[in-house]
Amino acid sequence: MKHIIKRLAIVAALGAALGSTPAMAEKAPIKFATPVDFTAVYTFLTDEYSQGQRDYITLLNEQGGVDGHLIELSVSDTGNQPQRGIEAYNRAKRDGAVLVDFLSTPVARAMVNRVNEDEIVMITALHGRGDASQGEAFPYVFPVMATYWSQAALLADFMNQQEGGLKGKKVAHVYIDSPFGKEPIPVLEALSKDLGFELKTFPYASPGNEQTTTWSDVRRYKPDFVIIWGAGGGQAVSIRDAIRNGIKPEQIHSVVWLAEADMDAVGRDTAKGVRKFSPTVNGADSPLLKEIVGTVIEPGKGAGPKERVGSTYYNIGVATMAVAAEAARKALAEFGEPLTGEKLRKGFELIEGYDAQGLMPPVTFSAQDHQGGGQGRVVSWDGETWAPETDWHASFQDIVWEEINKGAEQYKKEGK
Amino acid sequence: MFYRLSGIRHTRYAAARQLWPIPADRWQVGVLLALACLAPVLFSPFYLLSYLLPWLIFTAAALSLTLLMGIAGQLHFGFAAVMAIGAYSGIHLVRAGLPFELALLGAGLVAALIGTVFGAAALRVKGLYLVMATLAMQYLVDWVIINVPVISGGAQATLQAPSTTFLFVPLATGVARYYVALLWVLFVTLLLLNIKRSAVGRALVAVRDKDYAAAVIGIHVVRFKLVAFFTSSFLGGVTGAVLAFCYYQAVTPEQFTFNVSVQLVAMVLVGGLGSVIGAYLGAAFVLLVPIVLTNLVVLLNDLGWLNASTNLLSHIPLMIYGVLIIGFLLLEPLGLGKIYDNIRKYLLVWPFRHSDL
Repeated sequence: MKHIIKRLAIVAALGAALGSTPAMAEKAPIKFATPVDFTAVYTFLTDEYSQGQRDYITLLNEQGGVDGHLIELSVSDTGNQPQRGIEAYNRAKRDGAVLVDFLSTPVARAMVNRVNEDEIVMITALHGRGDASQGEAFPYVFPVMATYWSQAALLADFMNQQEGGLKGKKVAHVYIDSPFGKEPIPVLEALSKDLGFELKTFPYASPGNEQTTTWSDVRRYKPDFVIIWGAGGGQAVSIRDAIRNGIKPEQIHSVVWLAEADMDAVGRDTAKGVRKFSPTVNGADSPLLKEIVGTVIEPGKGAGPKERVGSTYYNIGVATMAVAAEAARKALAEFGEPLTGEKLRKGFELIEGYDAQGLMPPVTFSAQDHQGGGQGRVVSWDGETWAPETDWHASFQDIVWEEINKGAEQYKKEGK
Repeated sequence: MFYRLSGIRHTRYAAARQLWPIPADRWQVGVLLALACLAPVLFSPFYLLSYLLPWLIFTAAALSLTLLMGIAGQLHFGFAAVMAIGAYSGIHLVRAGLPFELALLGAGLVAALIGTVFGAAALRVKGLYLVMATLAMQYLVDWVIINVPVISGGAQATLQAPSTTFLFVPLATGVARYYVALLWVLFVTLLLLNIKRSAVGRALVAVRDKDYAAAVIGIHVVRFKLVAFFTSSFLGGVTGAVLAFCYYQAVTPEQFTFNVSVQLVAMVLVGGLGSVIGAYLGAAFVLLVPIVLTNLVVLLNDLGWLNASTNLLSHIPLMIYGVLIIGFLLLEPLGLGKIYDNIRKYLLVWPFRHSDL
């Protein structure tokens, strides 16, 4: 069955056929599938993320595709249900997709064995298993961006740079009580030993609409720094409750899931100073975003409202597809046609220092490292936008990789 | 005409009391069974593994739940937790070196024991209060799985199902997994059909209809309520393990959340409480209709007949789905199984209008 975005590809194909390069449209299209969650849990970011992915693919197709191959991106909804994800995956496999992205941890986890068996690349940017960064244990899974472990390490590093370092300070990790919220704890514990700070963890119940009691505990603990680890609506609640309990916005450091909408929910001025991890540039000023605006958005070919272009999750969506397209380019150049999942994987592993024209930190993959280096930066909310506090860098990757290898070893031992 | 009754005379009790006394029913069951057995040949792997396989497994789950909710009348809103216990126990037992067949039994037993403990609440409370007790089970089990790394599989909270064999056949191919699921759902189906016409089944129905009255006519209510919880949780536990090994191949707590419990209850209600065919129809409705609707909306959009944002496109199937549920329940409050029953009864005496059956 055909999918929504096939139409985009057809439009682009027509454009190419009417234009100067009719031969280009004749090459076989490259198929990507993104069955994501538009309706259940990940709704807070899916719209923007998917819009970014589609706009980038439209841009690519407008420019003639990857080496003359247009990209067909099929988008559908899984409602975050593994069985619907499996159906969508089997459909994508049947239709010859070489890359899938589910943007859903439960779905992606059920798919790990399948993609390794079927040799289809799965990108798991900011979801899925962090230990899938170990390319030897998970040959077809690419986290592409800094894992949660790398994010926690980078945030701790940043706090350590602040007045006098972390030694002897108190850090509160306030998290949603789910595997996602607990994920960074081992890395934070290792860091607390190395850097000599005191770590205390404060869980709040999912989905996080109500965190009052947790935050009164945090207040009693009198932390110097607070890490908030949640997603969606719970994030704004965390910040509001933190401020209400006398914690200054500058003390709050968030996982990647914090966007403009959350700042609106807290109050743009109240939240001034809140910090978060950011895997991409913010706003629509980067060269790649300008190209998208000029080629896709202004002619009216965008996949959604103009206001969202350049928003936090939009840019993350663009970045994922930019890396995927770069991998396809490398694979076609190195191994020739037709593009298979196996060639695409090797294409990923050939990427070196690719930064999507400055949209993201340079990523370098190898057969071992599917995370791409784990770089990012800390940004702070200035009332209008996210202002960078640091340059692109990665922190404590030795500790992160210890954790990655531990998980990967366990997977290898148990999987078979 | 369709269900010819004339000329069918049962001359022995055994013949009159068999599961399907009318030949037309036997024919239908036979054809369906043949279709199910030949499915790997008839359907492409895509349809076999994305539609038939999950349908069969969730049918087994709905059948296990309908034994409790439909036949014994005990509401259960935490059945996904029962399946989770089965799934996790199954995987841990196979890892510990037990053969898959025994691990399935073990998964059922663990689920049955824990399920019965919570079911014991049913001895004291009924109706909505029992719903609360089973909800507590759902959240407790979720919490324990997430917070005990030994169960959940460490920081990643994912357990891979180890490769294993069933009756000397490796569960490596989709076809093998399909047949295991088929065997299991056939077993549960036959079990339920037979429970419904046995003394145990009649006792459970008596407890469902009025437990005081059942006690008055000599039924040990406490025992039968516990029997219902034990059996149903056992079946649910094994189904959970089958789901983990044959379908998901990796389990995470998110696969067994409260939403799944609600889906299971919806399968039972939409299919018809206590109806065996209803469990099949209800599972198909709840599991497959959203997928089919999603694909249909995408197709319409491709043809250019619908023009809406992706967000709206993703929600249209949900709206239609909701309307369908309301529609079917308005049309026949007793569920899809009852609709089938009405049609069958109509055809039984066709061209006449009434049946005394």
